Amino acid sequence: MNNKEINKTPKTKKHMGMTAKGRISNTIIYILLAVIIIIWVLPFFCIFLESFRCETQGMAGYVIPKKWGFDNYVRLFTETDFLRWYGNTLLIAVCTAILQTIIVLAMSYTLSRLRFKGRKLLMNVMLVLGMFPGFLTLIVLYKVLSGMGLTGPGAVPGLILVYCASSGMGYYVSKGYFDTIPKSLDEAARVDGATRFQIFKKLIMPLAKPIVIYTILTAFMAPWGDFIFARYISHAVSSGYNVAVGLWSMTERTSIGTSYTMFCAGGVLVAIPITILFMILQKYYVEGVTGGAVKG
Amino acid sequence: MATVKLSNVQKVYDNGFVAVHDFNLEIKDKEFVVFVGPSGCGKSTTLRMIAGLEEISGGTIEIDGEVVNDLQPKDRNIAMVFQNYALYPHLTVFENMAFSLRLKHVDQETVYKKVTEAAEILGITDLLLRKPRALSGGQRQRVAIGRAMVRDSKVFLMDEPLSNLDAKLRNAMRAELILLRQKLNTTFVYVTHDQTEAMTLGDRIVIMKDGYIQQVGTPTEVFEDPKNLFVAEFIGAPKMNIMKANLVRNGNEYYSEVFGSKMPVDAGHCRKLIERGIDSREVLLGIRPEHVTICEGPAEDNFPCTIEVNEMMGSELHLHVDTEDGSRLIVRTPTVTLSPEQRNHLVFGEKLYITFHGKVTYFFDPETELNILS
Repeated sequence: MNNKEINKTPKTKKHMGMTAKGRISNTIIYILLAVIIIIWVLPFFCIFLESFRCETQGMAGYVIPKKWGFDNYVRLFTETDFLRWYGNTLLIAVCTAILQTIIVLAMSYTLSRLRFKGRKLLMNVMLVLGMFPGFLTLIVLYKVLSGMGLTGPGAVPGLILVYCASSGMGYYVSKGYFDTIPKSLDEAARVDGATRFQIFKKLIMPLAKPIVIYTILTAFMAPWGDFIFARYISHAVSSGYNVAVGLWSMTERTSIGTSYTMFCAGGVLVAIPITILFMILQKYYVEGVTGGAVKG
Repeated sequence: MATVKLSNVQKVYDNGFVAVHDFNLEIKDKEFVVFVGPSGCGKSTTLRMIAGLEEISGGTIEIDGEVVNDLQPKDRNIAMVFQNYALYPHLTVFENMAFSLRLKHVDQETVYKKVTEAAEILGITDLLLRKPRALSGGQRQRVAIGRAMVRDSKVFLMDEPLSNLDAKLRNAMRAELILLRQKLNTTFVYVTHDQTEAMTLGDRIVIMKDGYIQQVGTPTEVFEDPKNLFVAEFIGAPKMNIMKANLVRNGNEYYSEVFGSKMPVDAGHCRKLIERGIDSREVLLGIRPEHVTICEGPAEDNFPCTIEVNEMMGSELHLHVDTEDGSRLIVRTPTVTLSPEQRNHLVFGEKLYITFHGKVTYFFDPETELNILS
C-alpha cells in the first residue's frame, strides 16, 4: 500500500460513517416533526370534518361524519348573527391593520433615524411597559370606553381604539429592519432635495417592503383572533361581538347541544382569510422577521 | 462663481468630544481642495458640515458669500458623492440619476437630456436600465458621480469616493476624476485618507490631525516645505525617515551629526538658519527615502547600516536598513541605476554605507515638532 492509499483509506471510512450518522439523525428528526405536525394539525382537521356533519348538531364521539352536507354553514348564516360578527371582525382588523401599520412604521423610522433628547429613555420605558400583559388595563379601559359610549353595541370603534392605542410600542422588529438600511441613503436623498417624508415614502418604504407586510399581517391577526378584550368590551350585546366572541357564545352549556357543528363551520370560515393571507405573503413574512438578522 | 468660506468652524458632539477645532479656510471658485488626514482627524465631519448633514457647533460656513449654517442640504446647492455610493437599490441607474430632478418636478424631456448627457460623459449609457446590484464597484461609483453631476451644483463634495475600490480601479478612477474635473470646471471639496490621491487631485491640500488643520498648501508646498513633523511624515510614501541629530554651527556653516557621521548642511539651509539665529542644538532630522544615497565605501559623511528587508517594487527598490544603534531607516532607489552586481549585493544581512542629500534634509524642533527652516 503506497502513501496515497494510506492517506485515503481512513478519510473515506470517516466520510461514510458521518453520512450514516447523518441519515439516522435526519430520520429521527423527520419522524419527530411528522408526529408534531399530526398533533398540531389534528384538531383543525377534526373541526374541518365535523363542520360537514349533518346527522347530529351536538358533540359526537367520532370525527368522520356519517352524513355529509353544508347544513351547518347555512344555519350559521340564517340562525345566528355570524355575518355581522364576521363584518365586525373584518372592519376592526382592517382598520387596525391600516392604523397600526402607519403608527408602528412612523414610530420605528423616527427611533431609527432621528436623534432627540430622551430617545433612549423612551425606548427603554416602552420595552419595560411592553413586558406587562395588556389585560392589566382591562378594567380601566372598559371604564374609559364605557364613558365614551364605546362598549356594548359601540364596541367596534372602541376595540379599534384599544388595538391601535399602544401599537407604537411594537416598534422593535421594524426598527431593527430600518437600522439595516444605510443612513447614507437618507443623506444622499437629503442632498438630492428630498424632505424627511419624501425619504420615508420614496426610499424607505419600497426598501422595507417585507417589514411593511410583516407589520400589516401581525396588525391584522391580533384583532382577528382576539377574545378577551372583545368579550369584555362588547359584553352581552351580540351586535358588538367579533367572531371569536360569537363562536364562543355557541359553546355555552345551554347551546352546545345544538350549535357544536355550527361552531366548527364558523371556525373553518374564520381560518380562511388568515390562511390565504399567509400563503400569499409568507415569503415577505419570513424576510421581515429575519431581514435584520441576516443583513445586520 | 462658487466660493466656500469656513470661518472658525467648530464641531463639538453631545458627549463633549471636539471633532473639529477652529477651522478656517477659503476655497476659491473652481478650486479642487482635498482634505486629507488619518482616521478620526475630522476631515469627513468638516465636509459633512459643508453639506449640511452635520450641525455646526460654532463659526460660519459661507457658500458664494451666503451664510448657510442653518440651511438644509437641499438648499445649499451642493452635490455629494458618498464613500459607499449610497445608490438607491430599488431604482434603476437612470432613476437614481434622475431622482433629484424628479423631486424638483423638472419636465421629462430635460430629465432625459441631463441624465443621458451625464451618462455619456461617464461612459455608463448602456447601464441606464440596470439596478445598482447588477453593477461593479467602478460602475456604481460612476453612477454616484453621475447623480451628483445632473444637479448642476455650485460645489461638488466627495467623501472618500475611491476607497471602496481595489487598487487598480482606484488608479483608473483617479485619472478619470482629473479629466472629469476639467470637463465640469466647478468647485470641488474632496476627502481622502490617501495622500497619493490628495497629491494627484488637489490644487490645494488641507492636512488635518485631531480636528486641527496642520497645513494648507499646494501639493508641492506640502511635500517640499512641510510645516511640522506630522505633515512631513504623512505626505510621501514610503514616509520620511526621522532621526535624532545634533545640528552644529561652525561660523557661517552648519553640519549635522548623525549616527557618528558629519553631514554637511546645504548653503541655502545655512543662510536660513543664520537668519533665524539658530546655534548648535539638538534636532530631529528628516530625510525622504528617495534622498538617501548608497555609497561605495566608508567616508566622513556617511554611516554603515545593515539590510533587514528588501522590497523589490519593480521600478524601484525599497531597503529597510538598521543603523548601528538600532534605528530603522528606509532607502528608496531606482532599479535602473543599479548594476546586476549591486542588486545581488542589496539583500538581507548585507552591510552598506548611506548618506543624505544635503539640500533636502529637514530639521524639526524635538519639542514643538515644527520645521525649523519653514
